[in-house]
Amino acid sequence: MELQQTKRIQILKDKMMQEERYVSIEQARIITDTYKQHEDQPIILKRAHALKASLEKMEIGIEPEELIVGNRTKGVRAGVVFPEGGCSWVDKEFESLPTRPQDTFQIRKADIKEFREVILPYWQGKTLEDVVTSRGGKQIKEIAKVAKINQTDHAQGHICPDCQTWLAKGPAGLYEQARKAHAKATGDHAQFYESVILVLEGAMHFMQRYHDLLVQEAQKPENEKNKESMLTVATICENLTKRPAQSFHEALQATWFLFVILQMESNASSFSPGRMDVFLYPYYQKDILQGVITKQEALELIEALWLKFNQIVYLRNKNGAKYFAGFPIGFNVAVGGQDVDGKPYENELSHLFLQAQEHLGLPQPNLSVRLHKNTSDALLKHAIRVVAKGSGMPQFFNDESIIDAMMDLGISQKDARNYAIVGCVELTTSGNGLGWSDSAMFNFNKALELTLNHGTCLLSKQVMSPDFGGLDTYTSYEELEIAYEKMLDYYIDKMIACIEIVEQAHMDILPSPFLSSVMDACLDKGVDVTAGGAHYNLNGIQMIQIANLADSLAAIKKLVYTDKRIKQEELLHALQHNFENAEVLRQTLLHKVDKYGNDVAWVDELGARWARKFRSKLRNFTNVRGGPYHTGMYTVSAHVPMGENVGASPDGRLSQTPLADGGMSAVYGRDINGPTAVLKSVSRLDNELTTNGGLLNMKFLPEFFKNEAGVDKFASFMRSFVQLEIPHIQFNVVRKEDLLAAIAQPEKYRSLTVRVAGYTAYFTELAGELQNEIIARTSYESI
Amino acid sequence: MKLSLEPVMNPSKLTGNVFDIKRFALHDGHGLRTTVFLKGCPLHCCWCQNPEGIASTKQVLYFANSCINCKTCLAYSKNGGITSQEKGIKLCREKTEDWDTIINMCPTNALQYDSKTYTVNQLITELKKDLVFFQSDGGVTFSGGEPLYQAPFLLESLKACKQANMHTAIETTLYAKKEIIEEIFTYVDLIYVDLKILDSKNHQRYVGAKNDGILDNFRYLLTSIHKDKVIVRTPLIPQMTATKENIEQIAKFLFHLYPDVHYELLNYNPLAKAKYEYLDGTYCFSENPKPYNDEQLQKFYDIVLQQGIKHLIIE
Repeated sequence: MELQQTKRIQILKDKMMQEERYVSIEQARIITDTYKQHEDQPIILKRAHALKASLEKMEIGIEPEELIVGNRTKGVRAGVVFPEGGCSWVDKEFESLPTRPQDTFQIRKADIKEFREVILPYWQGKTLEDVVTSRGGKQIKEIAKVAKINQTDHAQGHICPDCQTWLAKGPAGLYEQARKAHAKATGDHAQFYESVILVLEGAMHFMQRYHDLLVQEAQKPENEKNKESMLTVATICENLTKRPAQSFHEALQATWFLFVILQMESNASSFSPGRMDVFLYPYYQKDILQGVITKQEALELIEALWLKFNQIVYLRNKNGAKYFAGFPIGFNVAVGGQDVDGKPYENELSHLFLQAQEHLGLPQPNLSVRLHKNTSDALLKHAIRVVAKGSGMPQFFNDESIIDAMMDLGISQKDARNYAIVGCVELTTSGNGLGWSDSAMFNFNKALELTLNHGTCLLSKQVMSPDFGGLDTYTSYEELEIAYEKMLDYYIDKMIACIEIVEQAHMDILPSPFLSSVMDACLDKGVDVTAGGAHYNLNGIQMIQIANLADSLAAIKKLVYTDKRIKQEELLHALQHNFENAEVLRQTLLHKVDKYGNDVAWVDELGARWARKFRSKLRNFTNVRGGPYHTGMYTVSAHVPMGENVGASPDGRLSQTPLADGGMSAVYGRDINGPTAVLKSVSRLDNELTTNGGLLNMKFLPEFFKNEAGVDKFASFMRSFVQLEIPHIQFNVVRKEDLLAAIAQPEKYRSLTVRVAGYTAYFTELAGELQNEIIARTSYESI
Repeated sequence: MKLSLEPVMNPSKLTGNVFDIKRFALHDGHGLRTTVFLKGCPLHCCWCQNPEGIASTKQVLYFANSCINCKTCLAYSKNGGITSQEKGIKLCREKTEDWDTIINMCPTNALQYDSKTYTVNQLITELKKDLVFFQSDGGVTFSGGEPLYQAPFLLESLKACKQANMHTAIETTLYAKKEIIEEIFTYVDLIYVDLKILDSKNHQRYVGAKNDGILDNFRYLLTSIHKDKVIVRTPLIPQMTATKENIEQIAKFLFHLYPDVHYELLNYNPLAKAKYEYLDGTYCFSENPKPYNDEQLQKFYDIVLQQGIKHLIIE
């Protein structure tokens, strides 16, 4: 029998979607009070007391239908104000939160008053944001257009905790471990263990409170219908305070408590469970074998957890919301892949997770399928059928690209094979690494702009960097490259200095004892995760955007220096004036030289070469926690604001317009040789360039998935993707709205192809009548 | 017709005229494919879906949508091949011009050749680009135009594909000499053959040529060693091919030749009409009919099945 979504899940989903998002200052109040009470203690203990108090005092709530309970606020999807990270931006933006362009939240007037009068004054100069600003605000701002430094006003996220250990030991087990270690420790180590003990006490108390609330609510006549399940869940919560999880249901509940508490400690963007089909399987298998649950019941529990993943969102400032639109908080779940011995790994849970996504179609968890040469057809095709539903998930990761590349960073083979994904596409080991994966975004195109224009910003006309020359003075392409390398060196040095300031500030202001308790080897070392307690300590920097860089360099190389079709001064002048009165020149740049994403090796190689150089330069540095720097190629939505920082570019792009999206994708509309050519181009980027994560977006018409033949062809495509060792790919199904947008803005959709008659054609080149025909037939729901 | 397969002295010098190479072709055979569209067709089906493939010579195309009216081309036109219009330009293709330069100087690619000349080696290089995507079942499909119209180039290209271990398919009308077919099909793994109209007079009327040669080739093909790699297809064109009589006659003809024949009916595709507008051509329907619905299609299927055809392919 086909597994169904139950009525209970539908009720819970409806309730969740109907609830409005509010800003919450409740935890800010508790943290502030606690800090005041422990004014004389070191920060790590203040933090621990504050989390413990939050776990004990925050108002909690349940829904009678819930099978998995717990949240960090009583309301769902609240925007939690978190003073330790930073609140000066909250002060500035509080009133605008309900009306800002991206990620709005409702507000209560009384909260604003209390925030301004009681909370904010206490935190002046004490938050991470304030400390970073006072130590390095000026430096950070000066380089922001080239190297945007992140993590300046909130705690570290993008972490995959050690779920396996959490399940195996539970808070009680970890508590005992910390107590034993504490008895022998001195100095900072003793403080660290003391903090861990405090937060684990808080964690157990928190679970007990859910037990108590459930028992109390279950007595109410209106909850008669759900009484039984409420009492079951109550018992589970109580059990988890005393011993590790035993059943599948307990394991799921324990997993969720872990992530709620991590968020209550850090309020960080993205803690990810990682390989849930690995660490939950023993519990599932045991319950199924013993007849404790059916597959259908297991699916309902999974879907109940999936709903919970949608109940925590992340309150970013206005600018942050622009860079990371849609409040992604990235509960990333990895499915499939290889086990630590390199053998194919998948099980019934892998399929149930996909099925849950198919049923719910919600943004979280961020579901990721790990593929490799021996992925079964069953798993691959199941994943494809879920993609066809159009939620953009699952996304796909490639073991063949990722595992060896991670090992190149010094990660052991076993840990590399056990990699997980955090946030959107960032890669990590499971439970033993602090990846600092959104350390900074390096804008290669702004650096090129300064190299072409004597160090002067095209937008502000102000001098930003040293003058290494200009497009009018470089007598050869090679000379330009020499200057560009100097520019990169100049900004890399400055960027690293800023990152060091930020990392040190995290260490000083935001030690995280609860996270440390579930991060191997912090408990063994007695060292907090922010101070380098984790086994692996990476720091990842995004390269923005290689596609535009390759296109710009190709245009200069071919049209200026080789063909001499465009004069050096002529192009520089056009860039300085945003191609005013130079449309023929701009069109020549756009159309008379090959572009990245079309399987043209020399163009693709121009981009890859600089990415490679950048990475090898970074490898000369060691980060504050003692680990290496490495690189990624993804932007989420940052290609828009990063583009706003860049003037007109030699690829024909107009001033301040967006850069290429994704990270490894071609510039919108420039990949005119179809998806296979895109993959070939992307495959020219070395695997090592994207150990911090790479992102490739692709769009397909729904007709591709219409029947099993389509699914088979898609499977072939994915097998080739695996063979080409591309780290990541995700798919959007083209909808009617996309086609309408393509008519309105054809230049952005030049590569969109549709099947016309004897063969496929570019949608934007079709006559209006025909476009309308195709729109009429592209009704996604009709499949 | 210049269809004879003399031994080619130097195959690497042989060139073909290709009007498109479509990578990631999903509809021209199994798996993921690259389809090569060879230019030129001796037939003139009045509903032709690829009318740009009929003429065998290279032509200059003008995409008015892409033109920014910069008049760059006018500066390079010496003999009146291009004249200015209020909006955009007008082409006079028969005038002698340095078209290569004019096309190169057009900044937007509004001016383009409709096709490109390839040597066999160049073509294979292009096809090999997607080798990794062909996996176990994909490969190369030669379409057109009528691919057999450039038989010597086609043959050498096919040989090279087989050497590179690629699966090969062809889409043809069988309008060629039998010897050519015999030789070429040795290098083809999957053969799509159109059979449009069985009645000779109607064939002449709508397809522009007699069909006796085609039918002879069917008699050969469906009794030859190649018969199991053949899929016969009939496009359903309202009033022309999609009549009860025609479908019945075709099904009967095929069944008698080879009862295990694979046969497919292709639904009418109204989208080709738009192409005629670019080419200043006239389409066979002034009022464009709709594709057949499931119920109507079923009626055609029933006709075929009644004739005993066992392998009717239904998408």
